[in-house]
Amino acid sequence: MSESVISVTELTRRFGATTALASVSLSMPRGAVYGLVGANGAGKTTLIRHILGLLRAESGSVRVFGLDPVADPVGVLSRIGYLSEENDLPGWMRVDELMRYTRAFYSAWDDAYAEELRQTFALDPAATIKNLSKGQKARAGLLIALAHRPELLVLDEPSSGLDPIVRRDILGAVIRTIADEGRTVLFSSHLLGEVEEVADHVTMIHQGTIALSAPLDDIKKSHGGKSLDEIFVALVGMPAADSSLRSE
Amino acid sequence: MTIRSPAAAVAWEFRHRHRWGLMAIAALLCVLSVIKLVVLVRGFPVDFDSAERFAIVVVVPISSTFTYFLAVFTYGLEGDLAARQSMYPARMFTRPVPTAALAWWPMLYGTAAVVILWMATRLLALWPSFIHVPTIWPGILAVVLLAWTQALTWMPYGLPGLRVIVVMACLTVIDTIVLLAIHFDASESFMAAFLLPQIPLAWLVARSAVARARCGDVPDWRGSFTWLARLGGVSRSRAHFRSPASAQAWFEWRRNGWSLPGWVAILLPVELLLLWVADTSTTLVVTILLGACFTPVIMATFGAVTVSTASGTGSASYSLSPFIAARPLTNAQLIAAKLKMTVWSTALAWLLVIVAIPLALARSGEMPLVIDRSRRFAEAVGTPRAVVFLLLVVAGFVASTWKQLVQSLYIGLTGREWLIKGSVFVMLAVLFCLGPIAVWIVETRRVGVVWNALPAILAVLVGIKMVAAAWVATRVYRGRLVRDRTLVIGAASWCIVVLVLYALLGWLVSGPLIPRYFFLLLAILAIPLARVSAAPLALAWNRHR
Repeated sequence: MSESVISVTELTRRFGATTALASVSLSMPRGAVYGLVGANGAGKTTLIRHILGLLRAESGSVRVFGLDPVADPVGVLSRIGYLSEENDLPGWMRVDELMRYTRAFYSAWDDAYAEELRQTFALDPAATIKNLSKGQKARAGLLIALAHRPELLVLDEPSSGLDPIVRRDILGAVIRTIADEGRTVLFSSHLLGEVEEVADHVTMIHQGTIALSAPLDDIKKSHGGKSLDEIFVALVGMPAADSSLRSE
Repeated sequence: MTIRSPAAAVAWEFRHRHRWGLMAIAALLCVLSVIKLVVLVRGFPVDFDSAERFAIVVVVPISSTFTYFLAVFTYGLEGDLAARQSMYPARMFTRPVPTAALAWWPMLYGTAAVVILWMATRLLALWPSFIHVPTIWPGILAVVLLAWTQALTWMPYGLPGLRVIVVMACLTVIDTIVLLAIHFDASESFMAAFLLPQIPLAWLVARSAVARARCGDVPDWRGSFTWLARLGGVSRSRAHFRSPASAQAWFEWRRNGWSLPGWVAILLPVELLLLWVADTSTTLVVTILLGACFTPVIMATFGAVTVSTASGTGSASYSLSPFIAARPLTNAQLIAAKLKMTVWSTALAWLLVIVAIPLALARSGEMPLVIDRSRRFAEAVGTPRAVVFLLLVVAGFVASTWKQLVQSLYIGLTGREWLIKGSVFVMLAVLFCLGPIAVWIVETRRVGVVWNALPAILAVLVGIKMVAAAWVATRVYRGRLVRDRTLVIGAASWCIVVLVLYALLGWLVSGPLIPRYFFLLLAILAIPLARVSAAPLALAWNRHR
């Protein structure tokens, strides 16, 4: 837990008149599970897109593995596994084609592990992506994010696509395995209960600013053992997710 | 603003989504009315009798507008023409509206739009002239064409691409019957009697198509054609890709590579069939062959729209999808994959042309005529020159096809909607102005002046091109978007190709009338440089926003 995998310094980003991120600073050491929590529109995806180099820092800096993700996309992205919130896999590809295509980009791709994940996720290799259900698409996205055993796994709102069984039984186990192997997971969600189950460290983001960032145990200790939901409400005055989402 | 009914909501959506296009059409109609009211009323001698001028002022803008209406009212701008699924937007199916209303409101608005367009054309765009234009039936024809296009594009099909074939076949049949009727001077009442019954028929077909699409009824006949896929080597390949670059090239090929050869394969046989009726008419045979050669170039213009789309995963968004943006590839590698795909796509399209033309000439019995004309040409200019000329023409067509596919990458890959739509508008405006300018030059006998000024005009264009290329190269170098070695090799290759073309042109057209530097300017302008080089810049602007 020494070297920083992600280092964000004074990052500010505006979209027109809206400030999506305001002087955000963050440092994520290697080998832990980070939960990035906040309500919809809080700035979680904007922060993740900066980490991936998909947004250029207007002011401040972003370093991933000590590299600038905009200047060196290959150096950074080849070590990251990413599950997008948008679930934008190419609809015309078959599952086996998606695996074959993605394999080419990662020297560490593990065929046996990919096949194991495919079977665990019950994905038919001959199925076309556009014919998969939303949950199956999210599983396919998770498969290609995991199969090269990335140094950093970035999951942007995986709960919005994955079905409850995968979320409860598989995702947590996968995330814990990755962390136990000394790799890092950044996991964004507005479902605080799920983050609470797997995260070692929680960063709460609200209206583009960091409301709280600390190890989960420390947060709980300092708030008298309250749940993350209660702490979030106490800090920002509103729940991170509406009740319908929390009841899933 | 309050929208009070489903019908008003559908109308509002059309109006709001296409407001810029509709405003441009309104501006066009205003210009036409101003010309008619001011110029003609004041008695200026305006002569629009020649077919060319009539085409420039009336046919081109009005038929372009009609094509735009076809795209708008079929929802063609947001669907996948080649997919099996209906092109009717699935988002509409969940609305609490009867299926008939879903189908018929867009048809009604489309009908109203084309009727207004025809009335405006009739009232504003047609000047008193000797060209006879019927009053009613062209308007009915436009309604019929729109209605059938809507019905057939909203229909789900059993095979990918079948929609294109069915729509083309249906519209071609209607057009052919109408052209025959015109040829035989059919009366207005006959045309109306032929066309009018088709409108309710098309509306019923459209309603049935939307009803099937709404309940997810999509036939699947692909199972019957798996043997064909195996025959064509499209069966599943288990081999791994050699490199990330080859994987990305495969991705681009699968996404866009087949489009151009596919279109050429559909259109070419229809064009070449005309050779069977050409008999011994050299002009007709040459026209048909030229048409066949221009087909890949023209189709590439349409293909460029999808090739230059940034999203990469078929989404309607202009920006690069996270799936592609998060590939561990440099911007230059992403562009290289696109360029490689366009080269293969062009090569395959031209392979079809090069194989089909001799076959069609041989089977139609026109081969001796072509050989005879070629022999005469070779005798007149010398065999080496004739051979080089032929090779240069073929190379020119092939290069133009590729150029059409890639020259808009620098716009499309920016992912900025305002820039993409703005560039289309500017291009159409320029094209619209070129015709009248050409007519003005000929009318005012300034052809000689333009000819004398041509070297200066070309020199200015070369200057602009080189300045743009230098600016792009500087930005690409500073942004480290491509390796220094690639920049140097690219520049050197471009210089070599320009010099070879210059030498060939100089050797081919030797004479005192045309100075040598003229060929150099032409060669510099012909070989793509600035726009293709700007593609990595555009992609970087999109990928790292």
